Amino acid sequence: MTKPNTGVLDPQESASSEIRSYATGFVVSLLLTVGAFAALLSDLPTAWKIGLICAAALLQIIAHLRNFLHLSLAKGQSEEDLLLVLFSVCLLAIMAGGTWYIMSDLSGRMHETSSSGAPVDQAPTR
Amino acid sequence: MTGRTSPIFGNLDWTVTPFTDVIQHPGSSTIVGAAAASILVLGGIAVLALLSRKGWWGPLYRDWLTSPDAKKIGIMYIALALIMLARGIIEGFVMRAHQASALGTLAQPEGGLVAPDHFAQLFSTHGTIMIFFVAMPLLIGLINFVLPQQLGARDMAFPVLNQVSLGLTAAGAALVMISLLVGDFGTGGWTMYPPYTGKIFSPGEGVDYWLWAILISGMGSTLTGMNFAVTIFKQRAPGMHLMRMPLFCWTSLCVAIMLIYAMPALTVSSAMLALDRYAGFHFFTNEAGGNMMNYANIFWMFGHPEVYILILPAFGVFSEISSTFSGKRLYGYTSLVIASMCIAVVSFTVWLHHFFTMGQSAGVNIAFGIATMVIGIPTGVKIYDWMATMWRGRVRITTPIVYLTGFFLLFVIGGLSGIILANPSIDYQVHNSTFLVAHFHNVIIPGVLYGMLAGIHYWFPKAFGFRLSETWGRRTAYLFVGGFVFTFMPLYVLGLMGMPRRSPTFQNPDFLPWMYLAAFGGVLMLCALASLIWTFWTSYRHRADLAVPGGDPWNGSTLEWSTPAPVPEWTFPCIPQVQARHEWGERKRAGDPWKGTAEYADIEMPANTAHGLLIAIAAFLLGFAMVWHIWWLAIIGFAAVPVLVVMRAIRVIEPRIIPAAEVADVDRRFRQLVASLPGATRADEETRRNRGVPDISEFAG
Amino acid sequence: MSENRLYPGLNLGATHGEAHEQAETTVFGFWVFLMSDLIIFGILFASYASYLDPMGMAGGPGPSDLFDIRSVAIQTAFLLIGGIAYAGVSLTLKYMQGRGKLIAWLIVCALLGAGFLFFEVKDFISAAGKGGTPQASGWLSSYWMLVGLHGLHVLSGILWILAMIVQIATRGVDDVVKVRLSMLGVFWHFLDLIWVGIFSFVFLVPLA
Repeated sequence: MTKPNTGVLDPQESASSEIRSYATGFVVSLLLTVGAFAALLSDLPTAWKIGLICAAALLQIIAHLRNFLHLSLAKGQSEEDLLLVLFSVCLLAIMAGGTWYIMSDLSGRMHETSSSGAPVDQAPTR
Repeated sequence: MTGRTSPIFGNLDWTVTPFTDVIQHPGSSTIVGAAAASILVLGGIAVLALLSRKGWWGPLYRDWLTSPDAKKIGIMYIALALIMLARGIIEGFVMRAHQASALGTLAQPEGGLVAPDHFAQLFSTHGTIMIFFVAMPLLIGLINFVLPQQLGARDMAFPVLNQVSLGLTAAGAALVMISLLVGDFGTGGWTMYPPYTGKIFSPGEGVDYWLWAILISGMGSTLTGMNFAVTIFKQRAPGMHLMRMPLFCWTSLCVAIMLIYAMPALTVSSAMLALDRYAGFHFFTNEAGGNMMNYANIFWMFGHPEVYILILPAFGVFSEISSTFSGKRLYGYTSLVIASMCIAVVSFTVWLHHFFTMGQSAGVNIAFGIATMVIGIPTGVKIYDWMATMWRGRVRITTPIVYLTGFFLLFVIGGLSGIILANPSIDYQVHNSTFLVAHFHNVIIPGVLYGMLAGIHYWFPKAFGFRLSETWGRRTAYLFVGGFVFTFMPLYVLGLMGMPRRSPTFQNPDFLPWMYLAAFGGVLMLCALASLIWTFWTSYRHRADLAVPGGDPWNGSTLEWSTPAPVPEWTFPCIPQVQARHEWGERKRAGDPWKGTAEYADIEMPANTAHGLLIAIAAFLLGFAMVWHIWWLAIIGFAAVPVLVVMRAIRVIEPRIIPAAEVADVDRRFRQLVASLPGATRADEETRRNRGVPDISEFAG
Repeated sequence: MSENRLYPGLNLGATHGEAHEQAETTVFGFWVFLMSDLIIFGILFASYASYLDPMGMAGGPGPSDLFDIRSVAIQTAFLLIGGIAYAGVSLTLKYMQGRGKLIAWLIVCALLGAGFLFFEVKDFISAAGKGGTPQASGWLSSYWMLVGLHGLHVLSGILWILAMIVQIATRGVDDVVKVRLSMLGVFWHFLDLIWVGIFSFVFLVPLA
């Protein structure tokens, strides 16, 4: 697994450990990608499919951050960068979540949809 | 416009200037337009003539336009802002004058100084200019000048990028300025809401001027924010822990965070609107699945943090001056830091209060209404902290303190009207009225304008080596306070009486007395502007009397006061080792703060470059060409930017080395000068005896 | 600069001395810039979601009419392998294994990125052929803008790689070039990360 790079490791050992880390990240990403596509093509109910795709995406993003972008909780720059990313994700969650909250509320009030959530048949008059 | 796009000149032809308008349709409105354009042209010619006659082209290019020095970049930002401020205030006055003469009747509803379309351009440019090209450059300029000095750094983390940011901001400002002369500006207000600003309802070039000015200068602001953040995290002097930073640095950090995370929203909303207009996309159109409410959503996701981008640097300035001019340590440092950071983060959660009446459920409105009221709490904390700082201090009524007092009185009123508006059910009654106009002017003018002018007054000697005249400074401050009260307090009343904002006319004669009062306030604001210009001029003429070569005219406690005035380009002869929060104050308390160092080293400074200037020219050409559909020029302008960047990247750029001997020579002479000057007491602060060397026995802060 | 403060992984080891310290400031600055970029993408994702309903599609073609799941899979493979190929650049740079190898890895990355772009443009053209132009509906506007912006990022990444190859050839692997290669690495991996969001939320979720 990724070791925080303290800069004074034995070069040969450190190189092979880094290659291992990249390889792990690659394999994990590959599996998660294949998993997401497989979920789509499976016969699971829609909610399950969406849940699996979202979970796979989240895990894959974490794998990328950890194994390719080398963010970690180790002291030093990698931690600073990780905190930066987490802070950004918080603000992004506020902005994207807020957008979803506002826009879905507005669209719910503008257009009547039947209670089952299925869209109303007729197109808007243009 | 002929309606045909020429391959060479795009939509440009000779009928787009206000001079042709005034010939075709003579009247008060076109005369005002032509006069404004004439001022621009004559002012431009006067500047060019002055530069040529005095032979200043060379120094201007060598010492300013190509300099990557953050201090000079800061001064250029402020100069740009003051020029734009003059236009903004004059426009504000024209609007007041128009409304005072705009009483219509039912038979003839329209009257007054300018035509309705012209009036709409006035409030659109006034808002755009005041927010993006006055307030932003003022605060960014002030931060550029002060931040590295307070942190004990020589420059920003990325000096050349800083130059590029300035260039992009100036290119945006130039686009707004040239719209006076070539074509019309948009009429959609500073927010440019679609679908009105879509291609169908606004087919002309006006909205495009706004879009490109905003896209280009917004890019510059994002890069600036990044530069500030990295400077604060990576360039602090040894020992300058985060909790030792002066409060202005903290508020700069908050500004940086908000610039980084809020400007992208503006970029997105403007880019979407541009795609709608240029490429027929359907983000915000009425038909084909467009949703104009998403524009309001994304725009205010930027717009609300922007309000705090504007106000927080002023809070930083007030923290510095309340402490310095009371001769006391800042009260509640930690609470001020926490309050600033709270404001920075909470400001991202309130944007919906700008469109309470757009039709969402009451539950959504209430969620954002509560968040809005919450953000008042940290702001209140700050006001109390400053008052506690001044409490029992030896307060000197200098110009910055006049501004601070005006801010105390007026900003609290503005904040209170904000809390009123934060309640959605009240907002339904007064939204879109002049009550709202009065509210936001009531926070932005006492907050941003007073804060920035106080800051300019405070740090001016550091930049130019002489103080500004206190007499004229105070007169300007009183005029700005009085002008504000007379202009905007009547607008509260008018709003409650039912006067809608942005309305070119009204038919209720009861409004008229209040309109006259507001117009009188507009006159006072014009006087304040003239007085501000006179302050600079008269101080320049008496610069020998006002000179403060000792560099510490106010007996300050932060690091920037340890250097000569004007400050040398390397700022510190050697990077200071910081031991305490108020480092310069602690050194004064320990005695002999001007102790020299034994050793000097060569100093590496970034070499001058025309990079920022060239990128600014390319960006301006891109914007102008896109506005007028001159596609060949747009392609050249767009391609020039990456080409310039790569060309610079390929070259190996050597820094400029300032030899240790030169630094040592300048520094030793400064220390001899300080030793030879008598210390000025606080009572002498405004007299000729203040040569920038304070009597340190008086230092108590 | 104490040793445990060194910049991790992507860039350089302590043997690189000054370049390493410079990398700390510059690469951190670049991270900050990317976070700003992330917000742009985030808002576009949220907008895409808000247009993803029958109103936003306005009777035009929808996801199941336009999306070619096989092509999306191919693009994903190109980008993922392109991302891992940059590990070659990073490690070659870090252990100083020579200029030729560095340029070779960079070319591999650029080619994989170009492969991705080829299939993406093909998809755009075929969508437009089926009536899925950005002018057709609000949803398609947001789809083209979001996916197109990512494509433009990949294109600028490729141009950046070419600019780096020119720099390595003309000025050698000096400190500045090392720092820039580190930034390019962060950028290249960041594009992968955005693509994970795009293939999951733009393509797979609406089809599910």
